[in-house]
Amino acid sequence: MRSKSMAGPPSAVSRRSFLAGAAGVLAAVPLAACAAPGGGGRRTQITFYEQKQEVIAYFDELLRQFEGEHPGIRVVHDSTTAIAPQFVRGEPGDVGCFNDNLELARYVSRGQMSDLSGLPSASTVRTDISELTDQYATFAGRTSVLPYSLAAAGVIYNKGIFAEHDLPVPTTWTEFVDVCTELQKAGVTPIYATDRDTWTLWQGLFDYSVGSLVDPGEFFGRMKELGTEVGPDSDVSFAKTLAVPMERAKTISSFFNPDHAVRGYADGNLAFGQGRAAMYLQGPWALSQIALVDPDLEVGTFALPVSDDPDERQARVNIDLCLYIPAATAHREEAVELVEFLMRPEILNAYNADNLAYSTLKDGPPQQDERLAGLQQYVDSAAFYQGAGTFVPTSIPLGNYLQEAIRSGNFDAMLDQLDADWRRLAGREATV
Amino acid sequence: MTATTTPSTATRVPAPAPDGTTARRRRRGRPEPIAYVFLVPALLVFTVFVVIPALVGIFYSFTDYVGFGGWSFLGLRNYVALLGDPGIREAYGFTLGFAVVTVVVAQVIALTLAIGLSKRIRFAAGLRAIFVIPMVVSGIVVAYVFSFLFSNTLPAFASAVGLDPLSQSILGNPDLAWLAIVVVSAWQTIPGALLVYTAGLTSIPGDLYEASSLDGAGPWRQFRSITLPLIAGFVLINTILGIKGYLGVYDVIVGLTGGGPGNATSSVAMTIFGGFTGGDYAYQMANATVFFVITVLISVLQLVVSRGRNIRL
Repeated sequence: MRSKSMAGPPSAVSRRSFLAGAAGVLAAVPLAACAAPGGGGRRTQITFYEQKQEVIAYFDELLRQFEGEHPGIRVVHDSTTAIAPQFVRGEPGDVGCFNDNLELARYVSRGQMSDLSGLPSASTVRTDISELTDQYATFAGRTSVLPYSLAAAGVIYNKGIFAEHDLPVPTTWTEFVDVCTELQKAGVTPIYATDRDTWTLWQGLFDYSVGSLVDPGEFFGRMKELGTEVGPDSDVSFAKTLAVPMERAKTISSFFNPDHAVRGYADGNLAFGQGRAAMYLQGPWALSQIALVDPDLEVGTFALPVSDDPDERQARVNIDLCLYIPAATAHREEAVELVEFLMRPEILNAYNADNLAYSTLKDGPPQQDERLAGLQQYVDSAAFYQGAGTFVPTSIPLGNYLQEAIRSGNFDAMLDQLDADWRRLAGREATV
Repeated sequence: MTATTTPSTATRVPAPAPDGTTARRRRRGRPEPIAYVFLVPALLVFTVFVVIPALVGIFYSFTDYVGFGGWSFLGLRNYVALLGDPGIREAYGFTLGFAVVTVVVAQVIALTLAIGLSKRIRFAAGLRAIFVIPMVVSGIVVAYVFSFLFSNTLPAFASAVGLDPLSQSILGNPDLAWLAIVVVSAWQTIPGALLVYTAGLTSIPGDLYEASSLDGAGPWRQFRSITLPLIAGFVLINTILGIKGYLGVYDVIVGLTGGGPGNATSSVAMTIFGGFTGGDYAYQMANATVFFVITVLISVLQLVVSRGRNIRL
């Protein structure tokens, strides 16, 4: 059957005309591709990279609004997940809106981003937030990115379960352990953990245990300077500096659900949404998932206390979105227009209010969602840190090491392993 | 498969054609020039999309390139660093061990099933169709389904019947998690091997068995002296393709354990892929180059051994 139909074309159409037709089709494809940019008349077309799944439609809306105000500019919204291919091809677009992390830092430190310090909106950003991005990477003399959205994370807790057992929100480490012990005695799973998705381990257990005891920005800054020198004799090292935080982590992990080893992020959202655990070490992104399970579940968030001084509590934050203009853009003027538009206080503040995040601007309004109310004070007073796990290059499988450490209880071995890996990576200059 | 059969069929084409002219005779045994023309498209695609990127990758494995921007030559430093990387060594150990175990398990089961189906049993066609189903389901889907079975169904079943050692998921146990990956990989690849063996078994003339049973050979003797030698080529191709496939194991692990617990089930392919997201491009290119050489060596070794025993593909 198949061979018959394939033999069809040459008999029905002569070979020559068939080939000519095929050549015509092939020739038309690139022409059509060329025609597209000019399709909008004399408008200049720029590309906007934004790939955060939940807000793609939100930004589409903003871009249409921008085009309405700027009839001469057409913005193409590219939501390709990976930004690496764009930079590799030398076509990194005109404006980017990306999670500020070590991946973005690679482009920053290699001078792939243009300087935004001259933009009027650059001075409206809170300096204690823009300093956070410098912890990952800088390029001398440049403001490479503008923080757009700050996400804060802590311990999500089930208010109903806490009230039922008459438990206070813990403000010190001792109180926290007491709360967990009480819950355990009452037959309630204190903390739901999802080891199967390793990122949840470093994002929650690791980052929260470290952040309020050791300043990750400072620690990893020094670690980078030391490089191959990191070891038993250096002034900081994983084994030395993170020993106490990992004792905390070990204790916390003893309050996990018994089947934590094989549960994943989705299992966790489901279980917590169904009220099968009192606490959940997750960020605001999990709140919308939990609400899908039970929209009426009363939840709150508090910063995990890891010392007995309540004033030492801090919240884990990350710059969930930041704006950049690649140095390679051919439409810098239009790109600046778009950045200035997005940075307008009414637009930026509205975005953050709508998406469980915090404004990055001076005098930005507080987050109104009561599920996050417990973290507002830390954001206001800049009592925050960027998660230690976000400073560990993905070449070091931190999440997998944590899985093993939780299982065996041997966190010291994990810290020694991290030191060894750090030295090895520094040896081939791959720490960023 | 198609790429290897194309030239051989082309060489055979002139042979059966009756010809008397001397010009034709001279060309006997050599391919018609047109055969090369037919090869061009495949060769072109293969070169552009496989050979050139591979060569570019090998080139960059001697540099500190991260995928964009500038780079400088490092010589063999990436390769030296590879040797001292325990994570990489563990990945190689796991991947090679896994490939050997899985290929044995899968071949034994596939051959057993194929022999069973070749007998005149009831519902042979229906059973064959059922056995082939795993082949058409994507690896990542299979892995997620099995992940659910291993983490929920199996432990629930085990605690219900009082099998305590299995009441905890084996996926969370670094000493046993690899078994789950062997089971799923084998389950997924057995149908392919089964089809090849079925084809091999049907190619054996039935009168051989008739003659041997007249000589008093039992089923085991028949299997050892007739079936196995006559399908040796099929065993070889299945083993080579199997090993090659298992060495590249990726999606099943991602779906089942994500390389954990710890790094107990991290395969080489997973470490290589990590280089793209982790800014370790050149280093993992060196890893990929080493892995490529090892894969080629294993395949060549298998071919040499089988040639020595007079097995032809």
